[in-house]
Amino acid sequence: MIEAYLEQFAATLSFDRALARRVVQEVEDHLRETIAADPARDRAQAERDAIAGFGEPRAFTVQFAAIALARRARRVGVAVVLAVLAVLAAMKARVAWYAAMQWSLSEEVRPLAARVLAVDRYAFWLAAVIGVGMLLYIGSRRARSVPDAAYRKQHRYAAYLCAAAMALLLVVVISDGVLTMLLLAGIELNARCAVPVIALTAEIVCVGAVIVMIGATIRRAGHIEALLKLQG
Amino acid sequence: MEGEMLKGHLDMIVLAALAPGPAHGYAVIEEIRRKSGQAFDLPEGTIYPALHRLEQAGLLSSKWVTAESGRRRRVYTLTRQGSRALAERRAVWREFSDAIAGLLKGAPSGKPA
Repeated sequence: MIEAYLEQFAATLSFDRALARRVVQEVEDHLRETIAADPARDRAQAERDAIAGFGEPRAFTVQFAAIALARRARRVGVAVVLAVLAVLAAMKARVAWYAAMQWSLSEEVRPLAARVLAVDRYAFWLAAVIGVGMLLYIGSRRARSVPDAAYRKQHRYAAYLCAAAMALLLVVVISDGVLTMLLLAGIELNARCAVPVIALTAEIVCVGAVIVMIGATIRRAGHIEALLKLQG
Repeated sequence: MEGEMLKGHLDMIVLAALAPGPAHGYAVIEEIRRKSGQAFDLPEGTIYPALHRLEQAGLLSSKWVTAESGRRRRVYTLTRQGSRALAERRAVWREFSDAIAGLLKGAPSGKPA
C-alpha cells in the first residue's frame, strides 16, 4: 500500500525528478516511522491511517512546484554568470597566447577586426551586467509557498533577462570565432594554433550547455504551468 | 485548531519546532504537537513543502543521515539566519498577540491618544 502511495507521490512531482526522489524518500521514512510508533496495531490499518494522516499527494504539488521553479531559476542564473566568466577566461587566454606567440592581425583585416572587436566587447559587458542583474533579481525574491500569478511573472522576467544575456553571449562567441579566424588566416598553421581553437571550443561548449539548460528549464516551467492549470 | 489559521504561521511554527536542535520531518511534527499540547494537528504532509521552502530561503540546512532502523532520513537544522528570523518573528508575534489580547479584553493596550 505504501509503495503504491509513494509511486503516486513520485508521479505528481514528475516535473523535477531530483526533487521527487528526495521527497519520496522523506515521505517513506515518515510513513514507516508513523507505523513503527504503534507496533501493536494491525499493519494494514496502520498503513491506511499513516497515508490518510499524511494527505493527498496532489495537495502538495503546487507548493513543491513553487520550490522547483525557484531552485531551477537560481541554478540558471548561476550558470549564466559562470558562462560569462568562462567566456572571459577563454578570451583572456587567447589574447595572452597571441601575445606570447607574437601573433598579430594582418594590415588588411584590421579595420574589419576593429569593428568585430567593438561588437564583441559591448556584447560581452552587456551580457555580464544582465547576467549578474538577473542573478541578483532572482536572489532577492522571497520564496513563496504557492506559485501565484505574481510569482510566475517574476520568473518570466528572469527568463527574459536570461535569454537576453545568452543571446549576447552567442554574439560574443560568433565575434570571437570571426576574430580567431581572421588572426589564424594571417599566420602559418601549426600545432600552436590549437590553443586559440581549444579556447574557442570551450566558449562554444559553455554557452551551448547553458542554452540547453535554459531550454530544459523553460520546458519544465511549461509542465508546471500546465499542472497548475489542471489543479485550477 | 483551524488548519487555515495555522497555514499563515507555518514557517514560524516549523522554525520554532527546530529551535531545540536538528530533527527530521516526523520529529518536527511530533514536536509541534507536543509543544502545542496537541492543539496543532495539521495534515502531516504539510510540513515537508515548508521544510523545503525554508531550506531554499537559507533558514534551514539539511543532510541525509542513516537512522538506527537503517533507513536514510533527511535531518533539518536551523541556520544562523534561521535563528535570527525566528527571533524576529517571535518579537512581532508577541507584539501582535499582546495587542489582540488587549483588544479582546476590551481594554486599550496602548497609550491614550
